[in-house]
Amino acid sequence: MEAIANEVQKTVREKRPFTLLTILKNRWFLYAVSLAFFFWLWDFVGERRILGSSLARPHEVIIQLADMVTNPLAGKSLFGHIWASTQRILIGFVIASVVAVPLGLLMALNPYINAVVKPVFDLLKPMPPIAWISISILWFGIGEASKVFIIIIGTFVPCLLNSYNGVRLIEPELYDVVRMLGGNRRQEIINVCFPASFPAIFAGLQISLSIAWTCVLAAELVSARSGLGFVIILGMNLSRPALIVGGMVVIAVVAWLTTLLVTVLEKLVCPWKREIVDM
Amino acid sequence: MSVKEGAAVNQEKGQDGYKIVCERISKEFIQKGKQRVHVLEDISVAVQKNEFVVILGPGQSGKTTLLRIIAGLEIPTTGRVLLDGREVTGPGPDRGLVFQGYMLFPWKTVMGNVEIGSKLRGVPKKERREIAAHYIELVGLDGFENHYPYQLSGGMKQRVGIARAYANNPEVMLLDEPFGQLDAQTRYYMEKETVRIWETERRTVIFVTNNIDEAIYLGDRIITLKGKLPGRMHAVYEVDLPRPREHTDMKFLELRHIITEASELTL
Repeated sequence: MEAIANEVQKTVREKRPFTLLTILKNRWFLYAVSLAFFFWLWDFVGERRILGSSLARPHEVIIQLADMVTNPLAGKSLFGHIWASTQRILIGFVIASVVAVPLGLLMALNPYINAVVKPVFDLLKPMPPIAWISISILWFGIGEASKVFIIIIGTFVPCLLNSYNGVRLIEPELYDVVRMLGGNRRQEIINVCFPASFPAIFAGLQISLSIAWTCVLAAELVSARSGLGFVIILGMNLSRPALIVGGMVVIAVVAWLTTLLVTVLEKLVCPWKREIVDM
Repeated sequence: MSVKEGAAVNQEKGQDGYKIVCERISKEFIQKGKQRVHVLEDISVAVQKNEFVVILGPGQSGKTTLLRIIAGLEIPTTGRVLLDGREVTGPGPDRGLVFQGYMLFPWKTVMGNVEIGSKLRGVPKKERREIAAHYIELVGLDGFENHYPYQLSGGMKQRVGIARAYANNPEVMLLDEPFGQLDAQTRYYMEKETVRIWETERRTVIFVTNNIDEAIYLGDRIITLKGKLPGRMHAVYEVDLPRPREHTDMKFLELRHIITEASELTL
């Protein structure tokens, strides 16, 4: 990114003599030290059985995961379970965002729609999505529908809130620009409302995704025959600590990858968003 | 230099041949609840075609509100604004507004921002690109067409703001403290640029500022407002100094002295 004018520039670092201190102060060196210590501590606790036999050592987890790639567990390989969870999330997430984002925009733009929808929304908003699990199983059974329902409930709120606030927080003078140039209300919405609320909408999608992972896990922990939550529960029932930790690791990786996907999407849609350096 | 004060000021209204006429404008805002804020009181201004009029006043004198009323973005409580004899009822492309806070679209490049006016009017892409390129060059930003606003300095951002207004080919340019956020040196430079641009493409200009030097440097005529709400008209100064003007010119300093003395009495 070329930076000009009053853009903040990184200070150019002077070349210093290469000493032991240079290595010790090196950022990447410290990252490595931090990670190495974490894995050593994990392995140490696992090896000495400080937490009983319930903590698998790192290499045991890796072996377990590698084994699951080839040998199916409960009828599905590791990727089968990953896809089972991801699929639930995608379905729920897409349904929720396709409904909630436009609804949030409409609420912000039209006071009557807002007056009708907002009271009910505010009533249901504080309810944690996990609280819906039991009733959703009663309504939709233990199949896919109940899990997707929980995800929809969980992701709907941040999607709607962010698109609603995204529009409400637009600088009113930006509308004046369009009005002064001869634009009508429709042009104001297309040229100001939508692009200006994109960043907020994407922030909502990001939050929704992480909530979706929480929801799908909770739902799978309660009742499922597949998915990463099921893998964890299976590990607990079979007393296989490596399976539990393995499931946790895979969830973290997959959740991170899906978040990355939204970030990439945002960069494509909003190339004008100032990048936050050094985050 | 001629100075008209007090009642004489209100005489010049309704004459034919003026580009913009403000007739006895007053404005009251009703804030949350029922608290009334009286912002402007009995303002009458008449601006000739291609004249550069500066409205000079301290903070809280209703200058911005007056400009927004002329722009059609606010409706006066009493009085009316005439553009070529026709009453102004709302905003329109015959007036171009340059905002104090730039108000560029951060999601559009310099080119995208400048061509937005013609785009809204449905001008074909090739044609509006040509128009926009002309005005980007006029304000001295050629080479920056594909930059986003966050990549520009304050002075450059306001150049985009000026180009955007000009590119819509308005009859009247309204500038609301356009250089208020700039440092003194950039501001001085932008004032010179404003005169250059105005001399290249003549328009009727109404320029709002709180800076006396800026007012004398730019204006054919300076209308001063009294401070503290409601804003009232104070005096009108004709500035007949030849351009380009020098801040250190004796006549410049003399006028500066007169206006400063007069404003201090009212503050």
